[in-house]
Amino acid sequence: MNQWLDERLHISRLNDKFLRKAFPVHHSFFLGEITLFSLIVLIITGILLALSYEPSNSLVVNSFDPGTADKVNYIPAAYHSALKINAMPFGDMLRRVHHWMANIMVAAAVIHMMRIYFTGAFKKPREINWWIGMLLLIFAALTAVTGYILPYDNYAYQTVGVVYAITKSVPWVGDWASQAAFAGQFPGAGIIPRIYGYHIMLLPGILLALTGAHLLIMIKQKHTQPQYAKRLAYKKIVGVPLLTQQTPIMLLLALLFTGIVLLFAAFIPVHPVEVFGAPSSTPIPNIKPDWYLLWVFGALAIIPSFDFQILGGTIGAEFVGAMVFPGIVIGLMFAVPMLDISKENNYYAENPTDHPVRLAAGTAFMAFMLTLSLAGYKPDLIQGGVLTTANANAVLWILVFVVPALTYFATVGIVRLIRALREADERDAAAHSAQLSHSAADD
Amino acid sequence: MTRYKKQDPELTRRKFINAAMGGAAAIGTLSLISTLGGAKPVFRLTPALAPPMEGDVLVHADPSRYGEPVKVSDLGLQLVRAWPQGKDKNGSPVIRDQDPTSVLAIFKYPAGQIQAPTNMEGTIDGQIVAYGDRCQHAGCNVGNNDQKPGLMNCPCHSGQYDPKLGGKVIGGPPPAPLAQLPIKLDGDKIVATGFFLSKPYGFNTEDDWTKYTAQVKELLS
Ligand code: FES
Repeated sequence: MNQWLDERLHISRLNDKFLRKAFPVHHSFFLGEITLFSLIVLIITGILLALSYEPSNSLVVNSFDPGTADKVNYIPAAYHSALKINAMPFGDMLRRVHHWMANIMVAAAVIHMMRIYFTGAFKKPREINWWIGMLLLIFAALTAVTGYILPYDNYAYQTVGVVYAITKSVPWVGDWASQAAFAGQFPGAGIIPRIYGYHIMLLPGILLALTGAHLLIMIKQKHTQPQYAKRLAYKKIVGVPLLTQQTPIMLLLALLFTGIVLLFAAFIPVHPVEVFGAPSSTPIPNIKPDWYLLWVFGALAIIPSFDFQILGGTIGAEFVGAMVFPGIVIGLMFAVPMLDISKENNYYAENPTDHPVRLAAGTAFMAFMLTLSLAGYKPDLIQGGVLTTANANAVLWILVFVVPALTYFATVGIVRLIRALREADERDAAAHSAQLSHSAADD
Repeated sequence: MTRYKKQDPELTRRKFINAAMGGAAAIGTLSLISTLGGAKPVFRLTPALAPPMEGDVLVHADPSRYGEPVKVSDLGLQLVRAWPQGKDKNGSPVIRDQDPTSVLAIFKYPAGQIQAPTNMEGTIDGQIVAYGDRCQHAGCNVGNNDQKPGLMNCPCHSGQYDPKLGGKVIGGPPPAPLAQLPIKLDGDKIVATGFFLSKPYGFNTEDDWTKYTAQVKELLS
């Protein structure tokens, strides 16, 4: 059979090129794979959900609670179908798996990027894949946000209101852009069909295309080699081949991982659409976006209000907080490969402690994002009595700058300590072996 | 010589291909943009989409009492959320709940507490006052301040407003005060006597708002 296939599909070339791709043996190299598995499970559960979902925000009678003849209980069809999915056998479970997978996919992608950053794997020749990875992260977040809107409960309604407002805050073109993106003035009659199209067609298409490019480039360029490979066989690719060694490991990992998420979903409920209720004008106290967007939310909460006009366009705090500022942060992340302009190709994953500035800048950046996310909890902090309305902004602003600075210097200090210890160790070992050889020579 | 001669047509061919590709890309982009034009649907003003306007009766927005006219006895330091109810062409009542900007918050304070810059003419006896309930920051619905009754707190980025002082911003990021809606008492119903006195959320300048109200008047009267 092999020969039959080979004559037609040139399997042996495929085999040499792709199926024998060597995978480095180190657990941190599984993070990318976990991201990929989550995407696959997301697509499968997403298709199953789409089969029972009704993408429409026109009002229908709530079949679970029809109301009375003179006061019929109308709810949006999308919300109604979300309720029906919950009532299906394992329907709620399906929603939970989809939801948790989305969160885990973003988390795994973020940790995967941290691995790349701290080991210098973004260096030449892998800059392009860093950029594609950034695009993947951005589009993954957009897909997640549009997914939040689909159940069209009150939470989704309030969320899409804010997303609409942010789009609208762009000077000059905002009004047109927000109406074009969300099918008319909020909440237009076609808003759910529009977002459904984004969430199940446009964005997954982009994600899949980018993922394909990401993987192809990775196969072409090979992984960065872990340090042990340098000792084992310098400048040779070391690792286990995709077929047949890596495949069972991958399958095992995929099954184990999916199993854990299923277990997780079985016990931890998510986004209870029944609790939030149908869209209404009642605000949800302490509403917050998902953890990976909390930093933008935090920035919005502490940037004081202002607005001014230039050439007929209005530039306000919302635009600066939700567009300009994240634009700068994402721009910085895009620029990471530019920080290193070596002409040499990088083969080996670097030890983070050999690059203290890069390491410290990375941890400081994470501290910055975390403090901004903390600022997102401003209303809760005020309610809890930790801060007052008067001092909240000042305290949070100071934290946003001081915590990253402290993290930076602390990291540099710790790295110095580690290196000092390591050097001492090496000196010890050298002295010891010198002594040994000395005494050996004596005998 | 022959060599150079041979190369020349090669170059023009390459140039031609480049130009063709550029042209195709430009035409493609243009046509894509023109189809994008269809992404934005036409806006048609219907009575249900209209902002609160003169003669509208304020009715409860809360699902449990939806559509009942708001009475003075319902009001107090906790906000009462309401929709304006107007009439369509045939004179039958329409609740204008299709544009979230129209949702209202109504308060009643002991006499003497409401002060300028509140428009006192637009209040009922200087005690009852109504505002657009969408936060001027990003359009969330503004709720009660649970710690200080009579003040308002936006759940999204903790914007705070004082309805006793014309909806002034007293904390957080909102760039403008809430828009006050002038009201009067008609029998036991609360009735709007005009449009919002300043721009509600969603309009960039006062000018945009005045233009819009003029348009609304023309289209619906
Ligand atoms: S929407 Fe009200 S403070 Fe941001």
